[in-house]
Formats: sequence, structure tokens, C-alpha cells
Amino acid sequence: MTAVTVAAAPTARPRRRMTSRGFRALMGMHVKLMFREPGVFVMILLPVALLLVFGLIPGTKKPEVSLGGRSTLDVYVPTIAAMVPLLIACSGLPSLMASFRERNALRRFSVSPVPPGGMLAALVAVLTAFTLGGVVLIVLLGTAVFGAHMPTDLGAVISSFVLGFAAVMAVGMIAAALATSSGMAAGMGMPFMILNFFFSGLYVPTAELPHVFQTIGGYVPFGAVMDSWSGQGALWQHLAVLAGYTVVGGVVSARVFRWE
Amino acid sequence: MPVIEVERLHKRYGELTAVDEVSFAVEQGEIFGILGPNGAGKTTTVECISGLRTPDAGSVRVLGLDPVADRDELHQSVGVQLQEAGLPDKLQVREVMDLFASFYRDPADVAALLRRLGLHEKSRDRYKKLSGGQKQRLAIALALVGNPRVVVLDELTTGLDPHARRETWELVEQVRESGVTVLLVTHFMEEAERLCDRVALIDRGRVVAVDTPEGLAARGGGGQRMRFRPSAPIEDADLLALPEVATVVRRGTQIEVTGADELVSAVTALLARRQITAGSLRIEQSSLDDAFIHLTEHGKEN
Repeated sequence: MTAVTVAAAPTARPRRRMTSRGFRALMGMHVKLMFREPGVFVMILLPVALLLVFGLIPGTKKPEVSLGGRSTLDVYVPTIAAMVPLLIACSGLPSLMASFRERNALRRFSVSPVPPGGMLAALVAVLTAFTLGGVVLIVLLGTAVFGAHMPTDLGAVISSFVLGFAAVMAVGMIAAALATSSGMAAGMGMPFMILNFFFSGLYVPTAELPHVFQTIGGYVPFGAVMDSWSGQGALWQHLAVLAGYTVVGGVVSARVFRWE
Repeated sequence: MPVIEVERLHKRYGELTAVDEVSFAVEQGEIFGILGPNGAGKTTTVECISGLRTPDAGSVRVLGLDPVADRDELHQSVGVQLQEAGLPDKLQVREVMDLFASFYRDPADVAALLRRLGLHEKSRDRYKKLSGGQKQRLAIALALVGNPRVVVLDELTTGLDPHARRETWELVEQVRESGVTVLLVTHFMEEAERLCDRVALIDRGRVVAVDTPEGLAARGGGGQRMRFRPSAPIEDADLLALPEVATVVRRGTQIEVTGADELVSAVTALLARRQITAGSLRIEQSSLDDAFIHLTEHGKEN
């Protein structure tokens, strides 16, 4: 999804193309390196561990009147699932690309026929698959093992989740395009991630926030995602916000991409 | 038509002018050297040719392409070895080669290329474990993996031991024999003399001279220098009386004479007439080194 958007961005300049064989090989390289430097797996293991803790606390499965009849676990499964795309988009993507740049490896790629958009898209594609695996694992664990109930309107849930992921990934791509060191990547991705964590209800359930914060939350990607799940505000408006992030991030990151 | 055409190239970084009006043309099939002291603008010139930097003024054409606008197309047929270009530590040599080969429409045979560069036995070694010389050879292999028509090699033997350097030179000669045009950046005189058909001498962002290495050497003040111990005393004035002699310096019993191209024959003829023999005789033709010192500001300051 995101990969398509990114790969499409460079075609604005017609000659910038790379071979599909090359794109697959570049994705293969990222997969190999992820297994040889498995730090990125923490971004799935951490939310899974959090879910296990919540799931094993007995009281979390009782329906609560204050949550509209849903249990604490029902509310937290989507929030915990949202941690995976947020961690990967805001921290994993920028820091992986920055570590390439830091070691001057991007300088080597800069004199090959790989365009900046292709360089970004290959990593984004691999991380998208990785994120999908993480989210599916958490949702399965939450529902099948701990008996959490998913929101009823699945179409809106999946479409907004996919768009929300594309939106944060696109913002992460800007950081990935610019950060010249892992530290800088963290500095760029972290505030955005914490903002999204906050509005996704990780710290405080969003329903308990003051009204003005709830309004702001509608313009933060995972705030918009959570709103569309709880049925707050117009769905089309939330989806438009998410699509806006994606388009801007995709176009900007391919243009500002730094090779060194 | 020249393979590489650089015309009045100008590149500035903030206040600092790195390249100022550089022009030269590289013909099909030659090894063309860019020679100059450190900080002369060699790497910036090469980076403009490779599409990594956008020139502030002037034009660059490589195989008829604009390196910046047609960057990806350019890299299909121009192989570049850059200074300070790394790779992920945990990738194996063979994996790196296969990866980069996949980017090209018509890649070289990876196994054959690794064998040619003596890296075949290192195929399964991770990049991190390679020695400096092996990393350098891998960089050359990566510049060649796309079957390029032009290769750009920036300081390729820096950091190599003399043995590895000689091997690398042979490799560059083989590359040229296969019909590839080579642009070679170096500050080693010996490398330029050994490999280059023509050399552009760059100093402080300007081209000081473009010539064959021999032609450049001849411009370096030209002339000859000889040192010897005379078997019997001879006066400075007698030597200076010869029109070919420019200077006479004595170091203990040794005499050093410099002068024009016919210096040696003139001085030996004089010594023969006096029946003096020249002991421990050493003769030096002026070299590219002299030209380098003579033609660059770097030398004038020292």
C-alpha cells in the first residue's frame, strides 16, 4: 500500500526507474539484515509482552459501564496493536535508513542506478510486511487467546488502520530521508511517536481527554484512526487527514532524500 | 565525440570555491588522469561527473547525458568507485555483488568478476571481515559489475601496500584493454605515469595543464640534473662557463649541476677534455614530480 505510493512518487521524473529484479534484491537485503541484526524484532516483542501482561490480569476482561460495556482488554487490544506500526514507522524506519547513511553505505548506492524513491520503498515494503505480521499476531492473541472483542464495523477499522499506518510511515519516511545518524533519527521520530501514542490512548483512554484534545487528536494519524473506530466524528474526514499525511510524506521524502 | 566533456565547471560550498572553471574532455578508450594536490578540487570534479553534485555553473556531459538530470540512466553505463563509500557490515561479498548486479539491465558475470579481482575465495566472507585492500578491490568490482562503458576511480590505491597497488594497476590496464574508458583521480605521480594516457593537472580548482605524463614532465622546468665526485679538482667557474649549465652546488666532495637537456653530454665532454672522471655519477631527468611542484601553487609555497 505505502510501497505503491512511494514507488509512484519518483515516476514524476520519467527517467528515474529501477529494475524490478533490483527492487526485489534490495528487499531481500533488508530481510537478511533484519535477521542478522535483529533489533527491530523488539518492536513486535514489546507490544506482545504488554498484551500478555494485560491479558493475564484477571480484571481486564470484565465489561465496564464506563467504557460503554466493553472490557479494558477490548479497548487496549487496538491500542497495543497500534504500537507496532508506530514503533516501526517512527523509530525502526528512520533509524535503519540512518544507520546505512551513517556507515556511508548510501554513498555506495548513490552511484548505482537505484533512485532515492526505490531506496526508501524497498525498506518501507519490508517493514510493512513485518508490521502486518506483528499486528495480526497481536489481534489473534488478543481475540483468540484472551477473548477480546474487536470493533463491529470491520471495514472502517481495517481501512482506517491501513491508512493510519501509511500516514505514520510517510512521516517516518521524511525522517528516514533526512536523518544522518541513528541519534538524529530517534530525535526526529520520537516526538511524533509519543504524540501518536498519546492520542491512540496508550497513556490515558481518549474518551477521558478534554474536548479540545479530542479535536486535536482527530488531526494526529493514530488519533484519527481511534476516532474512526469509536465512531467519533465523520469517517471520511479522518480518512482524508490520513491520506493527506501519506501523500505529503511520500512526495517530500523522495525529493529531500540525502545520500550522505 | 568525447566520452566525458567538462566545460567551465564551477562549484562552490558556501564561501569556499572548490572548483573554478574546470574544462577537459576524455576520449573513448583512454585512461585519463586527474592529478593534483589534496584539496585541489579533484573529488568535487568527479562527484559532479558522477551526478552526486549539481554544478553551480558550467556543463558536464558523460556519454551525452547530463549526470544530474539523467542520473539513473548514467549509472547504467558509468561505474563509479568513490572514496569513503561503505557497505553494511553483515552482508557477504557475494551477496553484495549479486545485489548490485541486479540493479543493471546488462550486468557482468559476478563469479567471473570476483575471480578476476581475486575475491572468489572471499565470496562468503562478511564485508566487516575484509582487509583494506580487499574492500578496495570489492569497490572496483562494484564499479565494474554493471558492464560499464566508463569507470571513474577516485584515489583507488590510497591505503594499499605497494604490492596490492601494483596488482590494482594491472587490473586497471586490463579494464582499459576491454575497451572501457577510465577516469582516474590520483595524487600519486607514479600511478599517473604508469597508467595514464593523458593527465589534467588541477590546482586550487583550476586546470593548470592537460598533457601526456611525458609532456607534463617536460614542462616541469625540463632539463637534467647530475651529481658526481670529480677525480681531480674542477672550478665552479669552468662548469658555469658552459652554456648548458644553470647552477652548480657543492656538497662536500660531491658536485651537483643542473641545466638544460644537453647538460650531461656538455659536462662529460668538459670532464673528458680535462681527463677527470666522474665518480658515483647520478643523472636525473626531470619528472612528473617536478612538473607537479613547478606547476602547482602548492609547490611554489614550499
